[in-house]
Amino acid sequence: MSTTRILTLARRVIQQLAADKRTIALILFVPLAVMTVAGILVRSQSSPLSIGLVLEDEGAVIPLGNRQVNLGQRLAESLGSVSDVIQIQVMPAAEARARLDAGELDAVITLPADFSARTVAARELTIPVEYEGSNPMAAQLLAGLLTRGAVQTLASLSVIGGATVTAPPVHLQETYRYGGAHFDTMDYLAPVFIGLFVFLFVFILTSVAFLRERAAGTLERLQATPIRRIEIVTGYMLGFALFALAQALIILGYTIFGLNVHYTGNLAVIFVVEFLLALMAVNLGIFFSTFARNEFQVVQFIPLVVVTQILLSGALWPVEEMPAWLQPVAWLMPLTHANRALRDVMIKGFDLIQIAPFVLALVAFASAFVVLAAQTVRRGVNT
Amino acid sequence: MVYAVEINNVHKRFKNVHALRGLSLNVERGITYGLLGPNGSGKTTLIRAIIGLLTPDSGEVRVLGTKMPNKAILSRIGYMTQQTALYDDLTVRQNVEFFAVVGGLNGDVRAAVDEAIALVDLTDRANSRVRELSGGMKQRCSLAVALVHHPDVLLLDEPTVGVDPQLRVQFWQHFRQLNAQGVTLIVSSHVMDEAERCDRLGFLRGGLLLAEGTASELRQRAGTATLEAAFLRFADAAVSSSQSPVASS
Ligand SMILES: Nc1ncnc2c1ncn2[C@@H]1O[C@H](COP(=O)(O)OP(=O)(O)OP(=O)(O)O)[C@@H](O)[C@H]1O
Ligand SMILES: [Mg+2]
Repeated sequence: MSTTRILTLARRVIQQLAADKRTIALILFVPLAVMTVAGILVRSQSSPLSIGLVLEDEGAVIPLGNRQVNLGQRLAESLGSVSDVIQIQVMPAAEARARLDAGELDAVITLPADFSARTVAARELTIPVEYEGSNPMAAQLLAGLLTRGAVQTLASLSVIGGATVTAPPVHLQETYRYGGAHFDTMDYLAPVFIGLFVFLFVFILTSVAFLRERAAGTLERLQATPIRRIEIVTGYMLGFALFALAQALIILGYTIFGLNVHYTGNLAVIFVVEFLLALMAVNLGIFFSTFARNEFQVVQFIPLVVVTQILLSGALWPVEEMPAWLQPVAWLMPLTHANRALRDVMIKGFDLIQIAPFVLALVAFASAFVVLAAQTVRRGVNT
Repeated sequence: MVYAVEINNVHKRFKNVHALRGLSLNVERGITYGLLGPNGSGKTTLIRAIIGLLTPDSGEVRVLGTKMPNKAILSRIGYMTQQTALYDDLTVRQNVEFFAVVGGLNGDVRAAVDEAIALVDLTDRANSRVRELSGGMKQRCSLAVALVHHPDVLLLDEPTVGVDPQLRVQFWQHFRQLNAQGVTLIVSSHVMDEAERCDRLGFLRGGLLLAEGTASELRQRAGTATLEAAFLRFADAAVSSSQSPVASS
């Protein structure tokens, strides 16, 4: 071991890094950017779960004391005060159904006309609740809160009625609009992962491949042939998209058959989304490779382009729960649209028409990035 | 039209380097034109300007009568870069084939690829990956890539660096054959004995054409026995002539 040699080598490493101003800037800036976004998301007041309450209960007479009571009304009151996390809105059945289908409500509780009567007769509280179901975590949270609210209702009843009998048991009669009781968190995350991996790998592969093409001088050589910039970009897209689809096929197969993730939608639609994601990633890769002079810098772009986007894309935190000013920013991220489309297809079984807004957004992003990439192909060659 | 390449008063300035300073020269069809000059004299810059990879700040470049840059004419130009720009992960054949098609080759790709590979004597290494080749072999592969699409004008930036003497002789034989077919070659070099083989020579220094002519003309005008000495003589003359106005004023 020679200290001089080690120190000399260490000095060389520092000199090289110091000469690479852009890497230094990225090393300093990227973590701050990522942490800022994460901080905003973690600290932001999450918006409450919305529950639609269809209140058709006509009340009943309690045998003890012979008093008229409307249990539905009481349940609504105690649910409203049980926690800030839930927000109860009373609405007609038709409206509740429409808003549940659209994913605006997290659950609908329907209390029928004979709700009080049945409860009194059966000496047991049965609450019919239909969860939206895409997010199993939300359903779990709701189940706990609903039970607590119901128990409170009963407790208040006992006080009023002076009953000494033990409180009747509470049942949640649970149904799911989408998904089901057997859906777990993995079912919620898997669609997002499927999109994410394609995006991440294609982005890294293209940016490095293009960087090499620039560094090796083959791009200059290509420019000395009749090939057009748009042809280069399209060729890259086609080549990488084929790889991406093969990758998507394997991931999807493993997710569904190996990990037993549930899906209801048409797999072909998933491939449409994956294909668009791959196209976008190729062009973003080409675009960013022009700003990277070496592989260091490409690696630095990953947290910037990919991690920030994952945080904002609704993969982990639903976009609807983000602060209002951040939501438009989230929708500026291509991955947000892809995630939403993939979840809608896999969990809700939507078809291409139903996810059209997201697919069209992806097409728009992809086209914009093609133009961007074609513009940047020239850079660094014609100086 | 007699000229394959016409360069008229071309200026090109990079950030702080004036790489081409009003350079003019014409290259007749079917000859081999040698560009000679020390490092940094502007040979590569001139070649890149000819092919249209860079746009001159002023002046005009025409290739086969077409003003450059022009995409369509590029299928008739071949370019061998100074750096052996090849796809390392691909084999020799894959590289040559790729550039044959991209370069706009008409007709039988397979035959053209085989021919180009045979010409640079890489037939038995055709299926080796480029990264596994020796330095000189890479250089040869790079030449094959430049001429596989049968261009009418071939720009070769130091094509014989690292190539062994025997193969170098072969290269020059082939260049001569190409000339006979009407192909125009522009070859940059430092090697003076190679310069002797060119039909015409241009001495470049500091982005200017110092002198031009056949090898024997240049030797004669300089009154020297070798091209090397002739080059130095012209260089000295250029320095003193650029100083003389200062001295006289
Ligand atoms: N892209 C560039 N950016 C900045 N300066 C450049 C660029 N390309 C060339 N130059 C400068 O222009 C001058 C001419 O360079 P050029 O590569 O044409 O020389 P050359 O004659 O080919 O030299 P060599 O024999 O070493 O290959 C040099 O001073 C070089 O530093
Ligand atoms: Mg050069």
